[in-house]
Amino acid sequence: MPKNPVETPEILPEGASWEVELNRVGFVRRLLMARRWYGADWWFVAIGGVAVVAFIIVALFPGLFAPYSPFVQVGPPFLAPEAHVDMPVLIVPKKSSVKSLQDLAVPPDANRPQISVVEGYPTAGALNTESQKIDEQIKDEPRGLRLRPVIDRYPSLQETLHAVVDGQDNASVVQESQFKSVAASFPSLREAAPIQGGAFSAGGFILGTNDIGQDVLSRLLWGTRIALTIGFSSSIVSLLVGVPLGLLAGFGGGLFDRLLSLLMDSLYAFPGLILAIAITAVLGPSMLNIIVAISVLYVPTYYRIVRGQTLSVKEEVYVEAARSIGARRLEILSQYVFPNVIQSVAIIFSVNVADAILTGAGLSFLGLGLPPTMADWGIDLARGQTFIQTAWWMITFPGLAILMVVLAFTLMGEGLMEIYNPKLRER
Amino acid sequence: MPEDILYSIRNLTVEYGTRAGPVRAVDNLSLDIRRGEILGLVGESGCGKSTIGKALMRLHEVPARITAGELWFDGRNLMELPAGKMPEIRGAEIGMVFQDPMTSLDPVESILDHLTETVLTHEPKTSGAAAKKRAEELVERLGIRRERLKEYPHQMSGGMRQRVMISLALALRAKLVIADEPTTSLDVIVEAKILDLLKELQKEFNLTILLITHNIGVVAEVADRVAVMYAARLAEVGTAEEVFANPKHPYTQGLLKSVPNIELNSAELYKMGGQPPSLLHPPKGCRFHPRCPLVMDICSKEEPEFEPVIGDHLASCWLYQEHEGRGSSERHEVHNA
Amino acid sequence: MSPIAIIALLIGVPSLLGLAIVFLRGSPGLRRYILTRIVLTLPMVFILGTMVFIVLRVMPGDPVTSALGPKGTPQQIQDMRAALGLNDPLIVQYGRFLWSMVTLRFGNSLIGGHRPIIAEMSERFPATLELIVPSSILALLIGIFGGALAAANRKHATDFGMRIYAVVIYSLPVFWLGLILQLFFGIVLKWLPISGRIDPIIGTTLKTVTNIYSLDALISGNWPAFFSVLQHLVLPTLTLGLILSGVFVRMTRINVIETLHTDYIAAARARGIRERAVVYGHALKNAMIPVITLIGLQVAILLAGAVLTETVFSWPGMGSYLVERISARDYTAVQSVITVFALLVALISLAVDVIYSIVDPRVKY
Repeated sequence: MPKNPVETPEILPEGASWEVELNRVGFVRRLLMARRWYGADWWFVAIGGVAVVAFIIVALFPGLFAPYSPFVQVGPPFLAPEAHVDMPVLIVPKKSSVKSLQDLAVPPDANRPQISVVEGYPTAGALNTESQKIDEQIKDEPRGLRLRPVIDRYPSLQETLHAVVDGQDNASVVQESQFKSVAASFPSLREAAPIQGGAFSAGGFILGTNDIGQDVLSRLLWGTRIALTIGFSSSIVSLLVGVPLGLLAGFGGGLFDRLLSLLMDSLYAFPGLILAIAITAVLGPSMLNIIVAISVLYVPTYYRIVRGQTLSVKEEVYVEAARSIGARRLEILSQYVFPNVIQSVAIIFSVNVADAILTGAGLSFLGLGLPPTMADWGIDLARGQTFIQTAWWMITFPGLAILMVVLAFTLMGEGLMEIYNPKLRER
Repeated sequence: MPEDILYSIRNLTVEYGTRAGPVRAVDNLSLDIRRGEILGLVGESGCGKSTIGKALMRLHEVPARITAGELWFDGRNLMELPAGKMPEIRGAEIGMVFQDPMTSLDPVESILDHLTETVLTHEPKTSGAAAKKRAEELVERLGIRRERLKEYPHQMSGGMRQRVMISLALALRAKLVIADEPTTSLDVIVEAKILDLLKELQKEFNLTILLITHNIGVVAEVADRVAVMYAARLAEVGTAEEVFANPKHPYTQGLLKSVPNIELNSAELYKMGGQPPSLLHPPKGCRFHPRCPLVMDICSKEEPEFEPVIGDHLASCWLYQEHEGRGSSERHEVHNA
Repeated sequence: MSPIAIIALLIGVPSLLGLAIVFLRGSPGLRRYILTRIVLTLPMVFILGTMVFIVLRVMPGDPVTSALGPKGTPQQIQDMRAALGLNDPLIVQYGRFLWSMVTLRFGNSLIGGHRPIIAEMSERFPATLELIVPSSILALLIGIFGGALAAANRKHATDFGMRIYAVVIYSLPVFWLGLILQLFFGIVLKWLPISGRIDPIIGTTLKTVTNIYSLDALISGNWPAFFSVLQHLVLPTLTLGLILSGVFVRMTRINVIETLHTDYIAAARARGIRERAVVYGHALKNAMIPVITLIGLQVAILLAGAVLTETVFSWPGMGSYLVERISARDYTAVQSVITVFALLVALISLAVDVIYSIVDPRVKY
């Protein structure tokens, strides 16, 4: 006998009058039982739900996860993911015990250390900055050491390094890549610690940096906040406008219903992005305006679903019965129509947020939504497009982020829709 | 298998997987269908009779599954055939007439298309013209003018559509025709015509028909033998005369009493008490016992066997069977309506 | 003849012809339905146009000062306002706007040369058409067969895979897909070009008649141009088409699944019709009917996707025109473009409804 696959239980033996028994399964219990019945859909909801929660956490506390600030330059521009940052390093003779710049500090009356650098490179500046910083720190210590090196500039790398070999200088500061390229010819020298005084931290940039040296990963994480804010806010506004309108139209009927439905249908049929473009173009770029623009787009969705549900509930016999007992309109609404409606709306909400995030990203990609200073995925993608030939990571990761977040909400919404109400498909 | 039995159903069990657990729509049921007979299968809605109809062709859909039993059709056990072989039998050897001909015909195909497709599927070497000719002859035999072949289902009346359905079942001279509530959606006059048609066709083509219905009147009209189903089990089986004249099972008795009878001048219509039992949690013991006017102690404790009462007339009722605490001397005489 | 006129003829004439045939041969009920439907399109266009008007006139933001910028003298501002009729009462402006919608006389662009907008659209619209049509076809092909395949193998790997496909494609930002395709096929593999409609050098040899480059190349027998156009079409079409296919897969799958549960499908199986014929013949045929109406709704997604795709691939169509004109604060042009979109949506919606009423033999009037 074949194993019991236990599929969708919607088909029952004919005329079963005891179906009511089966339908009394509650919301949560149905979700839990859904695992057996709806297989894939349950996994959709589970995976989507977990992902959504994760993204919400990141959006609420991006600082916890982001290694750097997304707004300032923290590294060299166009750094590939996980690429090594080329820092200036301290070069010393192998037999020396110097580990870092600080070790070159000497008592105030002793000979100042002499450090060679290559002319024309910014390493001298880094050296100065770092030395001053260390000097400030150590001058008040009991030992009273000072670090005020003398900087010798040489025209070439070779001469710079030779100065250390010959003993003219105590150490040298050159770019790490430079030293590595000639290290073989200077067997008596070794690398010590890097000089931190550069504008850039030596920390890894897991996803690389963009055209002005901002960390891609940090911008990704902070961008979550913007995306989710836009997504949730606009969906909530749409809901608050669309649901009551749908209830009123469905319940009231008449001319009001006809006119409103005509308006909503037209709105619904029109390409949402284009309408949003028009609205933001007129209102100007700001977070609030984007939210307003996108909210307008999704009002018809809620309106239609709610109105449809209201209409079908209105025809139910028991509402008529309630009316005949004398229940007032409002009571009928709240008791009979509302619970049905809430379930549908909750399911639509998830997919709505996904849509809204996509539209918002599209708008900022076109340069129309947000001020360009914000750390937003769409903006990053637009910027990345200019440099697509050289910095593939600038477009890959922000786009991937959009995909992940939208996918999470969509999965959840799709799964819920299949489990609770497959009739809700017309969006 | 004896020669005169076309279809022998043995210990068939069909289960549905539902949210609340497995439900047996057909529970360990055995029934023989004899060649050339019209066997009426009667029962209330929800007792499992349609499920049997579909199961005989292994046509049921997930979540229904045949979990036990053998289906001996014309000497072969259909349960042993690979599922891919069943389409060869369906339509060609076993045909089915569905309840609602409006929804059972493809709305975007003409009648001619329905017929020719059926013929060509089973006999692919037939030429288009030959198939068309067969279709024309067939529908005319069933009382439809051949010009109407190019019409679509929604352009025909209910009775006509049902004739189309019957013609589809006969297109390839099926040996067994399963008619699942064939007249339920028709008005009484058309119903009578269709039943007459079935009787004629049976004689002419030597068909065997399994007629599934909840309407006892229909069964009385056409059936040679009758099987009464209750709660996924058989309650009674026998020739039509026997069962109608001397119903043994209290359920059958109740069914017959429920048929409005002009001659009886009673003030109220007889109604059987209670509801059909839940197949999810069937009653313990005999499944009819909560509603039975002749219920005894043993009925709520143990299930009776399905056994012969007199000759070929079988019933599952403790009234006719030996059980503890009762000797054969206490057997009741059952009075009929 | 201007390209727009040519295209209007190409599409308009067969449509009107078809409409006339249906009208004449159809039942009176069908005629009434078609007429009603046509009449009902007007309110839709009216409403959309009004929305555009409201958005662009009544909301904050002065088009003239934005257009002229800080260099505009008060006199220039006055002149422009007068020329645009912005000093007239709103009702008059509204009336003028409606009239311009009907006659398609959109006036001149505010910026950069004051070209008549209709002339610019004449060049842009065919480009968008050249992108939209193949994308839709691709999307439909993938969608219909993918959906049917999924429905036929319900609860098995194929179904699951197709659902994942549909969900992922739906969540993909269309512009990102375009960028990734550009990156992979254009830059890494260097197989295909990543912007423009045709190689610029070859483009100079192309005689444009309809401004649909592929057609023009065929008409004049210019094979190098034809191949160049096809090459340039591949990535944008793939982008837009793939994104749209997700929706179609989903719709088809659901409709076919529902259809497979109907009585007539069970009856067909009872007659021994093989499963493949049942699914791809009977079920699909029936399932397609509601899909046709839904195709109409997908126009919205198609146009929105076109705007983004054109931007990514520097495809000079109506979508990129819209974006450019917005950045340039050319409100007249923006208004006109959106109006054209609204008209397009209304017309396609109408066409779909009429087609549906013809295709479904069950529809009674």
